[in-house]
Amino acid sequence: MFYYQLKNELWKLFGKKRTYIGFGMFVLGQLLIIIIFRYTPAQHTIQRSIERTGFDPGQYLSMLTFSTVMVLALAVTLMPLFVALVGGDLVSKEAEDGTLRMILSRPISRVRLLCVKWLAGVIFAVALVLALGLFGLLFSSFWFPVNEGMFVFIPEKFLNVYGYGEGLQHYALAHLFMVTKACTIMSLAFMFSCFNMKPAAATILALSLIIIDRVMMMMPYFSDIQYWFLSYHLDAWQLMLSSPVPWWRLGEALCVILAANLTFLVIGATAFQMRDIKS
Amino acid sequence: MIQLCNVQKYFGARPAVLGLNLEVKAGEIFGLLGHNGAGKSTAIGMMLGQVWPTEGEVRICGHDVTARRQEALQKVGAIFEAPVFYDFLSGWRNLEILSHYTGRTSPERIREVVDWVGLTGREKSKVRTYSHGMRARLALAQALLPKPELLILDEPSDGLDPEGIHEMRQTILRLHRELGLTILLSSHLLNEVEQLCTRIAVMDSGQKVFEGTLAEATSKERWFRLNVGDFKQAVELLNGAGLISDERDGRLVALKEGIGGEQVIRLLVEKGVTVYEAAREAETLESFYLSLMKRREKGR
Repeated sequence: MFYYQLKNELWKLFGKKRTYIGFGMFVLGQLLIIIIFRYTPAQHTIQRSIERTGFDPGQYLSMLTFSTVMVLALAVTLMPLFVALVGGDLVSKEAEDGTLRMILSRPISRVRLLCVKWLAGVIFAVALVLALGLFGLLFSSFWFPVNEGMFVFIPEKFLNVYGYGEGLQHYALAHLFMVTKACTIMSLAFMFSCFNMKPAAATILALSLIIIDRVMMMMPYFSDIQYWFLSYHLDAWQLMLSSPVPWWRLGEALCVILAANLTFLVIGATAFQMRDIKS
Repeated sequence: MIQLCNVQKYFGARPAVLGLNLEVKAGEIFGLLGHNGAGKSTAIGMMLGQVWPTEGEVRICGHDVTARRQEALQKVGAIFEAPVFYDFLSGWRNLEILSHYTGRTSPERIREVVDWVGLTGREKSKVRTYSHGMRARLALAQALLPKPELLILDEPSDGLDPEGIHEMRQTILRLHRELGLTILLSSHLLNEVEQLCTRIAVMDSGQKVFEGTLAEATSKERWFRLNVGDFKQAVELLNGAGLISDERDGRLVALKEGIGGEQVIRLLVEKGVTVYEAAREAETLESFYLSLMKRREKGR
């Protein structure tokens, strides 16, 4: 039965036009970035960075390098926005529309309903991250060489170069870990959506918290306690692009992220269980 | 089928339902009446486990809704005023989605219910293309899918045109007659309740102010229509003789218990009041409801 309920939840989620805004904007954003790289002097900046590190730009001005540049930018900006939008909608939009009342006249427990909805949100987050990675590769492949190496530079963190095969592996692993970031932001918005509030309020609250957390993490005065902030752990996916991969650090981040998700779910479920559903 | 025992509900400090006791027996069509904000929807919300009672016990089909919601709602269908669906999906898909919250439902069962409510041919269209009447039928279909024994209808005719209201009324009667369902009907339409229900309860300010059969409600007060030369004078005389308990509309008097119409006429004639017409006024649910509310208003 859980499978059918999840399938239906996905029907509801992916049947709505607004669900596709995220995918649409990713396509548009990535297309714009890659066109700007191709037809303006912007690619020379990357070329100079590669030259300064002593590598051959001809080998690294590639599909993988430009895909990574795009992913690094969009994962911090657009992705949180779209997962928060969907997470904030999952419960409160149904409460606002009145369909939640219809559902809750059925013999389904509120906790089970939330689990189904949350899982649908997770599937959306996975799909969005996949789309981000795949569209990045696709659009970059239109204008830049495919079978060349990958150059990754994250200021103040690391710089690495890889051959095509190894680069692709790191790129895929980074996306796999990025799913945890997308799920956490979605879960935060989902938690707020379980309270008696409008969908927009749930989304704005979640995004505001994520932005405040990131701003605080980036403040130089807080550099010694960076690991206190969720954004520090949410950004751990970037470490998948480094070599060697600091697995202990990723493990630590994964534990924090899991704990955060569990906390958001428990708070959301408690609030939802206690609240009265009225028209 | 439905039992509410001393149920209270407060939203913050504001009382919504106070000491409500109610029992709906199997096979009844029970009407729940009351003005907006009287507490009907809150009471229905508590029956469906959507609103948690502050105090008291709500039992549906023998199960406590607060503690055993799933078991309690297994054989319950519900329709709410202005039914809402996933407009971007087809009627069929909506039925599939909603029925799977109860249990697995076969396509044959969905087809059967779609036929029963008369939506055949339109079930694959998106709900956004449905008229208000079709939405009402779809709401009925989703309520019938789990083969319910109890149907809770909260303002089912809300927003329907006269034809739609008539159709809904006939459908409710069919449900009762053909499927033997127990029905709880909350409605503002008094004549609808009068035509459908066997028993009623009236709520006001969160409290139940009347519960009984329709016959008990309409015969509770014995109104007598008087067409006389001077109604005011007649009322004074009848009041003085202790024959009536109330008067209204400049033509009706309520006879006291044990008083017959002939006593009223005799007194008026003896006192020289011209009597053109005197007859028992058939009480309607509407007149009963209005006078009940008027009395409550006076008592505040």
